[in-house]
Amino acid sequence: MRLGYDERSAALLVAPVLGVLLVVAAFPIVYSFWVSLHDIVLTRPLRRPFVGFDNYLRIFDDARFWTAVSRTTVYTLVCVVATTLLAVLVALLLNEVFPGQRLLSALLLVPWATPSVVNGLMWKWIYDPTYGLLNGLLVQVGLLERYRVWLSDPDITLLLIANAAIWKQMPLAALLMIVTMKAIPEDLYRAARVDGANVWQRFVHVTLPALRPGLMLVLVYETMISIRHFDLFLIMTQGGPGDASLTLSWLIYVETFRSLRFGTGAAMSYILAITTFALSWAVIRFLGKRI
Amino acid sequence: MARITCAALTKKYGDVVAVDALDLEIAHGEFMVLLGPSGCGKTTTLNMIAGLEEISAGRLSFDDAEVTWTPPHRREVAMVFQSYALYPNKTVRENIASPLPLRRQPAAAIDSAVAAAAAQLEITHLLDRRPNELSGGQRQRVALGRAIVRNPAVFLMDGPLSNLDATLRLSMRGLIKRLHQDLKSTFVYVTHDQAEAMTLADRIAVMRGGLIQQLDTPEGIYERPANLFVAGFLGSPPINLIEGVMAGGAFSRGGWRLALPNPPADGRSVTLGLRPEDVMVAAPGLARLDARVELVSPLGSETHLDVVAEGGLKLTLRVPKEWRAAVGDQIGFGIDPARLHLFDRASELRL
Amino acid sequence: MNRPLAPRVTRALLLTVFSALFVLYVAGPVAWLVSSSLQTEAQITEVPPNWLPPTPSIANFEAIFAASERVVTYENRRQGEALTSNFLPSGAANLLPAMRNSLVVGAWVAALNLLLSVTAAYAIAVIDFRGRRATLYVALATRVVPDIALVVPLFLVIRNLGLINSLGALVVTYLAITVPFTIFILISYFEGIPRDLYRAARIDGCGHGRALWHVYLPLSLPALVASLTFAFLTSWNEFVFALVLTQNVAAQTLPIIISGFIMDFTTSFSFVNAAGVIAIIPPVLMAVVFQRYIVSGLTAGAVKG
Repeated sequence: MRLGYDERSAALLVAPVLGVLLVVAAFPIVYSFWVSLHDIVLTRPLRRPFVGFDNYLRIFDDARFWTAVSRTTVYTLVCVVATTLLAVLVALLLNEVFPGQRLLSALLLVPWATPSVVNGLMWKWIYDPTYGLLNGLLVQVGLLERYRVWLSDPDITLLLIANAAIWKQMPLAALLMIVTMKAIPEDLYRAARVDGANVWQRFVHVTLPALRPGLMLVLVYETMISIRHFDLFLIMTQGGPGDASLTLSWLIYVETFRSLRFGTGAAMSYILAITTFALSWAVIRFLGKRI
Repeated sequence: MARITCAALTKKYGDVVAVDALDLEIAHGEFMVLLGPSGCGKTTTLNMIAGLEEISAGRLSFDDAEVTWTPPHRREVAMVFQSYALYPNKTVRENIASPLPLRRQPAAAIDSAVAAAAAQLEITHLLDRRPNELSGGQRQRVALGRAIVRNPAVFLMDGPLSNLDATLRLSMRGLIKRLHQDLKSTFVYVTHDQAEAMTLADRIAVMRGGLIQQLDTPEGIYERPANLFVAGFLGSPPINLIEGVMAGGAFSRGGWRLALPNPPADGRSVTLGLRPEDVMVAAPGLARLDARVELVSPLGSETHLDVVAEGGLKLTLRVPKEWRAAVGDQIGFGIDPARLHLFDRASELRL
Repeated sequence: MNRPLAPRVTRALLLTVFSALFVLYVAGPVAWLVSSSLQTEAQITEVPPNWLPPTPSIANFEAIFAASERVVTYENRRQGEALTSNFLPSGAANLLPAMRNSLVVGAWVAALNLLLSVTAAYAIAVIDFRGRRATLYVALATRVVPDIALVVPLFLVIRNLGLINSLGALVVTYLAITVPFTIFILISYFEGIPRDLYRAARIDGCGHGRALWHVYLPLSLPALVASLTFAFLTSWNEFVFALVLTQNVAAQTLPIIISGFIMDFTTSFSFVNAAGVIAIIPPVLMAVVFQRYIVSGLTAGAVKG
């Protein structure tokens, strides 16, 4: 086959992007695999023996790793489920036409635009045990008898971080749900009305089925995003108290940049990447068929 | 000058063959219509002539120059689309002028060319509007303006009238025909509307499954359809098809026999084609066939009758408007054997 | 026809309640941050907290901006009267340079991201070429890998190239984050533009460059604005890569400096909050101004699923 005008143009138009992605994404991904097969410790820069899959085996023997896996699982589940539910509720509200609806829609973008570092500092300040808003509010309305610690309580610290994450990522999910709702043909609602369906029945039989493609997208996207959260953990708890918020991302960071064990760090990264990929794939395959 | 030669032109999408080794020569100044149902490959053929689809195999030439690999913006063709394809962000004037700046013409020449095209299409008063302020017919006039302003050797039209309502379609049909007579360019026109094809074409290529079924003048196609598909595709209401066998030199179906002028061999399975207008209706008993009227559809200028003849044979007939019939009436009709079409049932080809 | 009153009242009531909850949840935390930044250290450390600043003052902001003009040391970091005991973070002087870095990186990322994504998205959406799907999949697949996993090898690569602490390294890194998503958004948008317009343009004499410039770009304004905003915000907000790839103040961006404030336990809350507000203003302003474009741009591909 000869290269026509179209293919020559396309090659020219696509080359810059592929170049950038090759250097800054594809090469590091491959390089990272090479690193994960070597025992690279930055404090001994000249010794980098090939160790095969030893790094991986060592990780699987590491109790911290399994702690991190369970923390990450809990955190991701909470984030994904709560974000999705909240997004559907917000979408139902903003899909209505009422005075002030445009203002609320504009407000929705505020969390989305907030830098995660500021998000972390803001919630950390709200959770502050002495001067924070949360204690002040709960005590003043009588829901809490006296001030208590929040982020330093190992039982709830993951949930509190998740709350900050949900606050920031709910808007995009809600936007996606609103667009999906707007695409539902009005005729479906009219037909349901003629058939005598009430508000709830219309939601269950018309809205919900039509939301499936949007829900799919939100579930996959939120899973991919939540599983890799890092910023909030660094700002808010640094994995603590104890190992209460030790997630995989945080463990990778500690292993790499505090212990300077690049080999095991890279191996953990690979495990996380493959898990994320497999999870997205599974969600798309299984839910994609059912939904 | 432009003579278009397609030699074994082929388009494949993966394993699907959209256009299958098409051979077609379109003469300079000819009005060629590609006619067929959707998915027959007519638009793909047009796109290959335009350069919008890469040619998988075969050769395409304009006059004696091969253009198989020439990208569309370097072919001297103009095109009009079913969806009008006007640039929504540009005024009518800018739309009509859009091909010209790219051909490096001086501003004054552009202005006068746009003015001339607009005058010819009677849209001078619309020049400063935007496409979304125009009706469908006006938009298609603008699209025609964008095509003629370039004075191209080849005009390609992809179902330009399909989105218009019936009355407008009729007047735009006249406009396109006059345009062809004035410009004397080569026109290639794609449509699934047989009336457009019949009225506009010098020659029609009827297509199906990526193949040309018949290439002939409109009269030739209607009078001598090459196969069952062509016979069924042209004509409204469609041709009546009656299946039977040859016996004793006559067409035979059940107890009904019809002698034919040049009968094929006995025992052959054939299909008889009878155009609804090729019958002479009379009182019952006087003609070759008696039938009972099932449905009467008066159109004003003529009347269509759905009848059931002897042996349960269902036919549609076209009769003059003066002929009053009611459901349940018994009528008789005669058939001129010379006007019948006979096809082999297995090969579907004309006999 | 006279509709019964009760359903309308119920609806209005429900809408009001849920709107109030929505505003409280979405805007409440930010409002509290802003309120805190307008109070003195003494005021925000009162118990119970002051919901609104008793005496609103922009002293915290002034102090931060003034800090860039002199070196903050342990000796002189104590600001103003002893009563308020305001402590400036030791990195306060770096805030303005960091803001400049953030702006520069953001502008470059926004511009280059658009340039790269528009051309690639046009090719993938419009041109029929071998490998178009593969190109899209490769681009999207790079985003499946978590940032934290890319950080390690990228750090090693960039360190070996001697580009640690360069803004250019940040720009290129951020492009790898923004480009795949932008391409995805633009492809959805471009595919929504009638194919016949493209065909008309090609017939009218446009090559691919002109078809992109004359037809696709003018008709994609919302998606283009959304892409610009998205890229700028991503760059402005990014933290992990900036943390690892920059190690001195000359190249550090705003989130890094602010996280430094947070880690500095002697820092007054009022300054940290003020710094947070400073970092939040540009992106939020941008998001609200371009709201219409962002919403239609970001969600262009969602309906098709």
